[in-house]
Amino acid sequence: MNGVRVGNRVIGAQAPVTIGWENVPRVQGGPIKQFVFTYFQPAVLFAMIAFWYYAPNSIAKASTAIGIGIAFKVLLLALEWVNPRFESWQLTWKECVTDLFYVGLGYTILNMVDNYIGADVILEGLMASFDWAKFSWFTGLPLLVQAFAILFIFDFGQYWMHRGMHNWYPLWLTHSVHHYITQLNINKGAVGNPVELFLIGLGIGGLFDFLPRAALLAGAIGMSVGVYQHINVRFNTPAWWRYLFNTTEHHSLHHSQDFEATRSNYASTFIFIDRMFGTCVDGEAELLGMEGGRRMSIREQMSYPFTEGWKTMKARFGKADADSGLFGETQPVRAE
Amino acid sequence: MIDRTQMLDTTSHPLPDHGHSDQSKPNMRMIDWIWTVRGSVPLAPGQSAAEAFDRLEPFFLAPGTSFDRAGDTLTFTKKDQLAQDRMSIYDEGILQVEQNEGGALLRYRMVSKALLFCFLAPLLFVAFGQLIVGIGLLEGPPTAAEKKLQEEKKKEEEKKVRTLHPIDQFLGAPAPEKPKKDEKSKEKDKEKEQGNKQSPTSAYVFAVLFAILYGVGRVLEDRLINIRFRRSLSD
Repeated sequence: MNGVRVGNRVIGAQAPVTIGWENVPRVQGGPIKQFVFTYFQPAVLFAMIAFWYYAPNSIAKASTAIGIGIAFKVLLLALEWVNPRFESWQLTWKECVTDLFYVGLGYTILNMVDNYIGADVILEGLMASFDWAKFSWFTGLPLLVQAFAILFIFDFGQYWMHRGMHNWYPLWLTHSVHHYITQLNINKGAVGNPVELFLIGLGIGGLFDFLPRAALLAGAIGMSVGVYQHINVRFNTPAWWRYLFNTTEHHSLHHSQDFEATRSNYASTFIFIDRMFGTCVDGEAELLGMEGGRRMSIREQMSYPFTEGWKTMKARFGKADADSGLFGETQPVRAE
Repeated sequence: MIDRTQMLDTTSHPLPDHGHSDQSKPNMRMIDWIWTVRGSVPLAPGQSAAEAFDRLEPFFLAPGTSFDRAGDTLTFTKKDQLAQDRMSIYDEGILQVEQNEGGALLRYRMVSKALLFCFLAPLLFVAFGQLIVGIGLLEGPPTAAEKKLQEEKKKEEEKKVRTLHPIDQFLGAPAPEKPKKDEKSKEKDKEKEQGNKQSPTSAYVFAVLFAILYGVGRVLEDRLINIRFRRSLSD
């Protein structure tokens, strides 16, 4: 495999990838299907913005957002059946159970842990001990500017946390588990070692004060864009969307079996952050995962960062394997 | 990849009780339906065990699978099954061809950790729910100092100027309301006073969801594998 040169890098030398939008297949089928799968994403985004912008205060609350979020995911699951991107990513019963297990962890145990040691708690403690006030002037900005600020601040932090995870071994250990997924489905974003899921949720949004409606708008925009990262649906995504936002295509490359391709497209919502820092690659991949696509069991997903970390420590400091290097095969090289 | 170096031999395969002959353990049979799928498919007239296993062999050539054929018996084990493996939920099993008066019959018995996991998952989520309740009880109602802090916070929230930007006013977005003492917020305050800072509801919802998923999976996967074996044997 020769791969394709993208800037200074060669992508796809280890596993097949498709580089360049002109090479990514388009939706097949009749005019109605083409229309639906071309305009679905922007239509939902603008509908969500309009709804949360104008909804009366009695409706604009978190419980409505949770309800819409669940209904939207059910709809997207149906779309996965109607128009899959790849047959090889089709949702099976076992995959569905595994994904939902992690979604369940997120809603229960991880949520509880976040309540005690999450970013907001830490920031609240910091602000109280240093007698800082929140940046409350944010509430005077237009609603959509506030919503964008919330999303951008979080995504910018997440970009660097994610990039850090691909560049620093201890963080990589926690994140590597998520890279063992071998297909993208609507709930695959929840799959990962709980330590990583905690780390990736850290943000500094708690330092700022926003209007509740702006936070709900941010949540709705974030969901209407970010939900397509892990999904098995073929869309004819508009060019402006692909330029600004992360897409299934971008994220499939990030999950590719090709090492160099995984070191791209780190942002969660705004792919333009990757464009700013030179880590964006436009294209898609079908063959995903690590170790040639080995699927990890839940048990291994839970223990892998610790067992791998222990093995590495032993190799580094133990007597028997003293000449082995610190890093295993999966250790990334320095950032490009 | 088939790991043929780890092929099972018939003397040490993990399911020594061939097919239906495990009736010798009636107690186990009472519960092992939870994680064990049993079934049978009649073979076409004249089809031998060797021919039947030849037709079924593609199922056992999937990565992570090792298998052994010995006469009328095929045993297999699977590890790290691929997501799209047609037998991804099964971890080990035995298939045996029986000669009856009415013709040959393929009987199978296969063990699935995924089914067992899904069966136990509701218990796990109920336990999470109980843990959330328990921690709430342990923490107890907020102390006087915490209450004071909460009230101060509330007052601060009420003091905050919450007016929309002129652009939003022009576009007609509803103005933010001052926090009201409605019934719901009163209820929430009451809950907080009782120390239930977190609700266990989502844990119980997931417990129900996994119970449903188990029922669906137990029936669906049982039927799917029977249909798949049947098709492969008759093609």
